[in-house]
Amino acid sequence: MNMKKISLISLLVLGVFVLSACSSRTAVNTWPGLAADSARAYLANGSEIYAIDLKTGKEAWHYPESADAKHVYFATPVLTEDGQLLIGSEGTNHAFVSINVETGKENWSEPFLGAQGKWVAPPLVFNDTIYAPNTDGFVYVLDLQGKSVADPIDIGGSLWSAPSTDGKLLYIASLDHHLHIIDPATNTTVGEPVDLGGAAPSSPVVTADGAYVGSFTSNIQFIKPNGNHDTVAEAANWVWGTPALDGDTLYYADLDGNVFSFDTASGNQNWTEIKPDGPIVASPLVVGDQIYVATEAGTFFALDKDAKIAWEKDPGGDAANIYTTPVASGDLILVAPYKGDSLLAAYDAAGKQAWTFTPEK
Amino acid sequence: MWETLIIQPMTTLLLWIYNILGHGPHTFGLAIILFTIVVRLITWPLNASQVKGAQAMQELQNDKDWQEIQKKYAKDKEKLAQEQMRIYQEKGINPFASCLPTLIQFPIIIGLYQSISRAMAASPLDMLKLARTVSVYPFLNFENLIPLNSKFLWMDLGRPESIAIFGFALPTLALIVAATTYVQSKLTMPTSTNPNDQSAQMSSMMSIYMPLMLGWFALNFASGISVYFITSNLLGIIQYAATGRANWSNLLPGGNKNLPAKSAKK
Repeated sequence: MNMKKISLISLLVLGVFVLSACSSRTAVNTWPGLAADSARAYLANGSEIYAIDLKTGKEAWHYPESADAKHVYFATPVLTEDGQLLIGSEGTNHAFVSINVETGKENWSEPFLGAQGKWVAPPLVFNDTIYAPNTDGFVYVLDLQGKSVADPIDIGGSLWSAPSTDGKLLYIASLDHHLHIIDPATNTTVGEPVDLGGAAPSSPVVTADGAYVGSFTSNIQFIKPNGNHDTVAEAANWVWGTPALDGDTLYYADLDGNVFSFDTASGNQNWTEIKPDGPIVASPLVVGDQIYVATEAGTFFALDKDAKIAWEKDPGGDAANIYTTPVASGDLILVAPYKGDSLLAAYDAAGKQAWTFTPEK
Repeated sequence: MWETLIIQPMTTLLLWIYNILGHGPHTFGLAIILFTIVVRLITWPLNASQVKGAQAMQELQNDKDWQEIQKKYAKDKEKLAQEQMRIYQEKGINPFASCLPTLIQFPIIIGLYQSISRAMAASPLDMLKLARTVSVYPFLNFENLIPLNSKFLWMDLGRPESIAIFGFALPTLALIVAATTYVQSKLTMPTSTNPNDQSAQMSSMMSIYMPLMLGWFALNFASGISVYFITSNLLGIIQYAATGRANWSNLLPGGNKNLPAKSAKK
């Protein structure tokens, strides 16, 4: 074989690698999803889901036993009262899986006949029914044994966030620029979809009077159950994460890196110009007297309610980002860096690190 | 640098075309087609230069002096190289004239591909990257366009395409990509009277490997990329045909046997 042929074949192989590297079908292309109960944290990271003991920071189990192309997790896992961990896969068969939280063994796995898209959104469990939104624009309705109990609800657009509920209605935000209200008694939409003016990637936060939702229109809108809606608060850039409601105060953040504290009673902002150190995708977390904020720059901040920084940490190292919403369990605040030195870090309210978790190879 | 010079402008151009077209159903597919046409028009001089350079090299393969030195210095590579350079100089041929435009176009092609992938924003992280891209030009108000409507004809441009026929998923677009790539490479394949012509042999190999490779990509990746491949291939065929150098006989079985190069007539 002469040099020209070798060069040609080398060029083709190089071309395959270059085009593969820039394709839209990268195997793992999102940040971790995090949930916790009183005993364990559950971290969906790429092809694996890890259960981590909260006392020791050690792995309790992982699922599946060996990673494969069928299991790629974009969504945040959701816990049910009867001890299931629910999550949908972006993997090749788009399975929606129930795992036993004690053992890590699979309870059931639905290949989801008819679901055309991947699972980015976590499901909502309401009245022993699973409402699982898919990127194909449908909400799939299952019982806790994984069997369909109603026709999928056609929402439209791509669904990236879990429905929220006030105990009567379900509110679901869509990338189709609308908020949809569903009556779970009939599994049908109520009224016309509410036009938000831009894509809404995260769940609304629901009160007895209605729902607050952020969107790519860089504001917060309040939607009443009858569909009436108003812009109540502004941001400087896209609002990605779900706002956090603490009493009458709504905390939210934007991709410019601003953290806002909005008084829903008076309609006024409590702060101005609170901008930690980078764009914010994760939702703020309010625990006790502190607000926890994670930035794309990889810094994890604890603020008091006057916006004074109580402490800041760098849980994943210099190269890490944080996009995952932190989770509280007991005395611990859990934060999952993306591309960090460790997959999960636990702090107490004073900022003392309890442990970090890195899976054994 | 790559992001600033290639991806951001190209993605913005793609979104701008999408916006101009009304950003309704099917418009993203049309935007990809128009976007590909615009980029191909911009790179037209480079393509023309490449074709011209390749043709000159092809004609050289049939040159008596060239064939003589190949035989005479077959065992003396150094002397052969010297003689080849002499002939290049005498005939005013730049041996890199055919490959240099290709090298220059390579980043553009990769950029085009990445821009389409970026605009489709199939995952949250991709969406975040798209947010960065559109925020560079906030006056264009592209936030309202996101996410793009990925429906085009029967396809979802964000997913690999297939049509169910009798329960079998037929990858129509992948087949069209492979077919158009094959036609394009066959049309542009040089004809040679020299049985030892290595460039003709390489072209023959390329006409087999490239359709298979691009067909495989089309089979596995988002169909928006396939729309780009097909448009690009068709434009390449049209452009080559417009130069009058397309060798249609190559499409027939046995059509590449010792036919004189059309442009050799001049």
